[in-house]
Amino acid sequence: MKNQLAVIVLVFVFGLSACNAQKKSKLPILGRTDYVETNGTIDTVYHTIPNYSFVDQDSVEVTPKTFENKVYVADFFFGTCPTICPIMKQQMLRVYDRFGANPEFGIISHTIDPDHDTVAYLKDYSERIGIMDNKVWHFVTGKKDEIYELGTAAGYMVQVGEDESADGGYIHSGAFILVDKERRIRGFYDGTVPAKVDILMNDIDRLLKEYEDE
Amino acid sequence: MKKQLFIFVVFIGLATGCSGNKKADSETANDTLDNFDQKETQYYSNGRRLYKTICQNCHMENGEGLGKLIPPLAKSDYMKNNRANLPRIVKYGLNGPITVNGIEFNQPMPANPKLTDIEVAEILTYVGNTWGNGLGSFTTEEVIKSISEEQ
Repeated sequence: MKNQLAVIVLVFVFGLSACNAQKKSKLPILGRTDYVETNGTIDTVYHTIPNYSFVDQDSVEVTPKTFENKVYVADFFFGTCPTICPIMKQQMLRVYDRFGANPEFGIISHTIDPDHDTVAYLKDYSERIGIMDNKVWHFVTGKKDEIYELGTAAGYMVQVGEDESADGGYIHSGAFILVDKERRIRGFYDGTVPAKVDILMNDIDRLLKEYEDE
Repeated sequence: MKKQLFIFVVFIGLATGCSGNKKADSETANDTLDNFDQKETQYYSNGRRLYKTICQNCHMENGEGLGKLIPPLAKSDYMKNNRANLPRIVKYGLNGPITVNGIEFNQPMPANPKLTDIEVAEILTYVGNTWGNGLGSFTTEEVIKSISEEQ
């Protein structure tokens, strides 16, 4: 009986500590990993977001340099989206409110309907949800094939594209993608589910902490 | 028997380890609900279910809308002043600017042509009597009249 009691106590302690232990470990690095041999040593090469060049709501060019020394969250949307975009933007606003003051944090939202979502449209759209400048959150447009290319396996590894049978004419993932300062993907989160966005915000804290500890 | 109890306690221990706080339901129904009969109450609860699947992604959990992009349904003067048009808007959507509670919105609302008359009445009975709205219930007759009018 004494033994059983000890096990019960252990299980309780383990149950509680499981949550804390999770916070301390590093976030995984996602995507395909290659091992390259140079001069007799094996280097690990992680999947990184490739180069890109878009234009944001203030007509400013956005490239990976824009997010230099920042961790950032990326997503895909379109202005006239009748399905999941508004809830995604509501949830991204929570992330913005929490981390917007941190100079090591940024957000990029790619339209997948650049024909409709011009710079002027994105400016109006962003202001209507309360984002008055491009200091933290960039709403970007660009060439359609470049946007789609960046969304797929070569870049953020999510689903984006045109589909006439879908509501609004486009299919796209509702994912928020967390990217670190080395352009590596560190997490995917369902941007339509508040509880998943809570996890994202917790993970942003953890990721920022990784750089503090270095 | 002792063993079963032991397993049960272990299970509880694991379950309590990582439980989060469930958000309280901040939805506030209007007084009119108290006066609903059985049919109206059923419309209301069916309407809530339909709202969550069809409307909530844009108009949000508590009808608050999104900034100046998606108009609020909560305490909406537009709904109060345009009752006769509401069934048509739910079914056929809306284009062009509208002013709700003093703010101009201009985001197209998609149509929901698959909704039946009774489903439109259920959604409006829910939305019209939640979050500070007191429009009373909607009947299918009222819905048919609205959506058959010339646009």
